[in-house]
Amino acid sequence: MTRKRFVTLSLVPAIGLLATLALVSVAGAVWFSLMNRTLRSADYDFVGAYNFLRLLRDRRFMNALEISALWEIITVLGTLALAVLLAVMIFETVKKPLWRNLLCFAFLVPVLLPRVAAAFIWRFLYSPSLGVINYLCGLVGIGPVEFLADPSLALISVAVVDIWQWGLFFTVILLKLLETLPRDPIEAALLDRARTWEIHAYVTLPMLKGPLISLALVKAVESLRSFDLIFVMTGGGPGTATETLDLYAYQMGINMGGRISYASAMSILLLIVTTVAFTIIWKAGKKWAS
Amino acid sequence: MANISCTDIVKSYGAHPVIEGMNLDIPDHEFVVFLGPSGCGKSTMLRMIAGLEEVTGGRIVIGGTDVTTLPPGERGVAMVFQSYALYPHMSVADNITFGLRRQGIARAEIAPRLAHVAQMLGLEPYLDRKPKNLSGGQQQRVAMARAMIKTPKVFLFDEPLSNLDAKLREKLRTEIRKMHLQLKTTTIFVTHDQLEAMTIADRIVLMRDGRIEQMGSPDEIFERPATRFVADFIGTPAMNFLHATMQDGHVARAGNIALRLSPTDFPRLRPGQNVELGLRPARMKLCPEGTPGALTGTVVLVENMGAEGQVITDVDGHEMSFTTPAFRGLAIGDRVSFAIDPGHVHAFDPQSGHSLREE
Repeated sequence: MTRKRFVTLSLVPAIGLLATLALVSVAGAVWFSLMNRTLRSADYDFVGAYNFLRLLRDRRFMNALEISALWEIITVLGTLALAVLLAVMIFETVKKPLWRNLLCFAFLVPVLLPRVAAAFIWRFLYSPSLGVINYLCGLVGIGPVEFLADPSLALISVAVVDIWQWGLFFTVILLKLLETLPRDPIEAALLDRARTWEIHAYVTLPMLKGPLISLALVKAVESLRSFDLIFVMTGGGPGTATETLDLYAYQMGINMGGRISYASAMSILLLIVTTVAFTIIWKAGKKWAS
Repeated sequence: MANISCTDIVKSYGAHPVIEGMNLDIPDHEFVVFLGPSGCGKSTMLRMIAGLEEVTGGRIVIGGTDVTTLPPGERGVAMVFQSYALYPHMSVADNITFGLRRQGIARAEIAPRLAHVAQMLGLEPYLDRKPKNLSGGQQQRVAMARAMIKTPKVFLFDEPLSNLDAKLREKLRTEIRKMHLQLKTTTIFVTHDQLEAMTIADRIVLMRDGRIEQMGSPDEIFERPATRFVADFIGTPAMNFLHATMQDGHVARAGNIALRLSPTDFPRLRPGQNVELGLRPARMKLCPEGTPGALTGTVVLVENMGAEGQVITDVDGHEMSFTTPAFRGLAIGDRVSFAIDPGHVHAFDPQSGHSLREE
């Protein structure tokens, strides 16, 4: 057996399984999206692009699109900003390996938590009557603040939980990356009279540009699957203030309307939009990093 | 431009001392080389002068300012690293001008200074390139330009040529020397290569185990090594050593080998005293057999070095080598005689290793 044939044969089962799982469901969704099926009745018609055309006039869909984009931007930028800030701070202030490792260990804990558990914990922390955050706010004379019930605060409040989980995790990764950088350019910058923040802004972080872009992409993909967190914390509310596309699709298709054809069309559109967006971002990122 | 003075410098990592009480004065304009085997503390000493390493004890003064506790950027020093330490994501021009920009110097002033150093080091065609697109020699030139443009009080070189191939090393060595003749900036250059040290230095500081073994001009170090260690470390091929006992008439004898030492150089040697003789291969010459004071042995190996050859011989059970331009007539097993001028014989105390020569 030639090597090439061996490689092909060993790849077939895994790829076959993946293709079955992915393609069948995508094909199923496309099939559904072209009809007007609901969970209420068994009969249905073929309606062509009707669902897609209706989506473009659906203001709630447009709102969900906007919330999804906002959610992506807030969580990705927030996570990276927190990680960069904390990693640089720890890198500069905590020099003892023991303390650094203990901190890293502590920072890994949040991401190990199942997201549903994190959501419940933070919902309790945010609670206007029982939550410790509102208790602290009360001490300085603010509040009670309706973190999850105030439409202008709810999305940020949920994003804080996501950033708390992933930002601390990325802090650990970034800190370890900073430790692997060669000392010499940093020392050269010291001799070039660069201040601490200048060393990181002009030398270390640009040297980590590649890994930072990868981390941003990983987080962007990860942020797309925040259904569980948002669902537990706000359920998309108040109103539609935190309703992302996946939540809206769920509400439409399974929870309220049972209009699975309409929800399928939404999912297909989401799939296309994210694929195109990520391809563009990936290409741009690669170009920028080189 | 400035002199450097280090007083009672101590450096220890935990309980482990690396440098113990080092005193060093470097006058203005001098080109000093820290030389020594790896782990002798020469790089640590340089990094302490640069401010990259904290001093455990002692004082460092550069140009009349006590810099012992000053951060690296405020000491007026510029350093060239062994790894070049260029900023990989910046263009050559940005690398060179990074320090000036951090000092808030106006762009209008930076441009002519950049043009000047780029022209001096032949970097004009590469200013827009990234370091990774340059050869090792070009990268090291960029590192030198980055140091020069700051017009520092002191240049520090930390084994800058170690990563280059032999030919390029020689070329850059000459360039560094020429640059020093032109700029006259006080310079400290760290290396473990004794030939590099000999060719480039005004003064060599030879270090061993965190202490200064000998300090002096290359000639002094080569011709008047203060200890056996210095004698062994300097010179290629390495010095021959021979344990001998003094006899009457200022003759040192080891078996059948007898060498007369100069009574003016070694007036205190007494008959019966044990000495360790040091004979430089380059100071010995082929001579006819039977010449008084000549050593006679059989050829073990001949190493061709181009213009000269190193001949390794067996003299009465001792392996001795000498260099001669006439090596091509010699073959393994030949009997050869070679002699050394008594003025070039070194003698060391076998216990302390100190030279027994009196100035």
